[in-house]
Amino acid sequence: MTDLLQLVFAGLSQGAVYALIAIGFVSVFTVSGVINLAQGEFAALAGLVAISAVGSGLPLPAAAAVALATVAIVAVLMERLTIRPVKRMTTLVSLILTLGVSTALKALMLLVFGPNAEGLTPFTPGGFTVAGVSIRYQELWILAIAAVVASAVYWFYDHTLAGKSLRACAEQPVAARLVGISLGRASLMAFLIAGCVGAVAGVLASPIYFTSWESGLTLGLKGFVAATLGGLVSVRGAVLGGLLLGVLENLTAGYISTGLRDAVAFLLLIVVLVARPSGVFGRHAEARV
Amino acid sequence: MSLTVRGLVAGYGRLSVLHGVDLDAAEGRLVAVIGANGAGKTTLLRALSGLIPVSGGTVTLAGADVTGYGPERLARAGLAHVPENRLVFPSLSVEDNLVLGAYTRRRRPAAERAHARDRALELFPRLQPRLQQAAGTMSGGEQQMLAIARGLMAQPRVLVLDEPSVGLAPRLVGEIFAALGRLRDDGLTLVAVEQNARAAFAVADHVYVMDRGRVVLDGAAATLAADPRVTAAFLGGGVSADGGGKPPPATDTAADAGLR
Repeated sequence: MTDLLQLVFAGLSQGAVYALIAIGFVSVFTVSGVINLAQGEFAALAGLVAISAVGSGLPLPAAAAVALATVAIVAVLMERLTIRPVKRMTTLVSLILTLGVSTALKALMLLVFGPNAEGLTPFTPGGFTVAGVSIRYQELWILAIAAVVASAVYWFYDHTLAGKSLRACAEQPVAARLVGISLGRASLMAFLIAGCVGAVAGVLASPIYFTSWESGLTLGLKGFVAATLGGLVSVRGAVLGGLLLGVLENLTAGYISTGLRDAVAFLLLIVVLVARPSGVFGRHAEARV
Repeated sequence: MSLTVRGLVAGYGRLSVLHGVDLDAAEGRLVAVIGANGAGKTTLLRALSGLIPVSGGTVTLAGADVTGYGPERLARAGLAHVPENRLVFPSLSVEDNLVLGAYTRRRRPAAERAHARDRALELFPRLQPRLQQAAGTMSGGEQQMLAIARGLMAQPRVLVLDEPSVGLAPRLVGEIFAALGRLRDDGLTLVAVEQNARAAFAVADHVYVMDRGRVVLDGAAATLAADPRVTAAFLGGGVSADGGGKPPPATDTAADAGLR
């Protein structure tokens, strides 16, 4: 029982990281049909920038802010330079384009930050034990901040004009243009959101899971699987998908074999795509974001 | 505010659909464009509001040349387009659809938007009890009303509508055209593309008949309604006042009636 609780708890905090990255996939995909394979790199870049900012003497909150700002700028530049100029964007074209961006970002990170994997200092070091379950303070930070950020994104889409305009673009792009919403600006805003949630995920995850120039690959793929579990069009689905994936991974690692941890995601992806292409939690295809 | 179209040429890629269309909608007039399927009516509206590129001719809005403007810019210039098949934002509430309709007015005082909302709801009181409902769950007629109300939220000076009656029961068609008539009486300029010629003739001031990308006939609604070529092709047995009636047959009616 203690084992189970331990694994579920660890899974939830890991899943919260996936959930944030999944929100990035959803925010971009719904507005522009782009599957952004550089989403994981946003997280890795944020982790590395934060680590080196702390290394150069900045306090942790400032370092996190620098990381967030850097990734936000990178995401916006990426949209303007590689997505906007494409006249007829299809999902296939977007995969090839963003794979290119992802590779370029990885090379850049290797060049700037070197090949070593490092961990950011935890926000609060140490941990405690409750009913035999050991909990690190950093895991609580992850859960709390991820919950705040996910709620903020949800609130943004539900209650602000800008958020509603993004949903309008996602549901009826033609009608959105007719009421005066610019699809270009919507796409830029979607990338900005994706950059921010990715950066938060990267900074949160770094103290526990470590960050290197290539850790974006795994994070990105897990985030993509989480988003797909939710049908790729719903923030709520992405969050549930992330948590589910995190828990399943940890249960597999704990009860079956650590080596199978990464296989779970892809097994799950195949099953979902075959059995429920609209996502595990998707009720109707219409409601997006 | 008037809308003037001169020699409009437009199409999809290299395929030209409109071959020089002229159209005038004077301020406070309701202009109907009728014609069989494939006559180019929808293409005309799509070119007017910038959804497809214009390759020749001009579009003038209140004396200002707006040819080649994109839809976002035209919306700001005062043209609202109620699209074919309504295209409401389905998962958003009726209220939010209206809010987004006023997107171009988002920096104006809230009182202005509230006024536009009150007027739209007064025109379509059926929307009032549904404000919190997801737009996609409403009936076709209610969605059409919402699409028009959403267009009105921008407080446009010209409203163009693509097939507002399609797929609706005759009683609803009458209701919607009566609303368009009221908007016209309030001074709005309207251009409605319609398959349902009876409904169009019942309220329009001026009617254009399109065929194969050209205007083949136009005139005051009362005059045209008496034209034997029009009655034969589009109206069957005369014009009924209730705005109901069957859509025209899908055959090449214009040729049958000797319009070419």
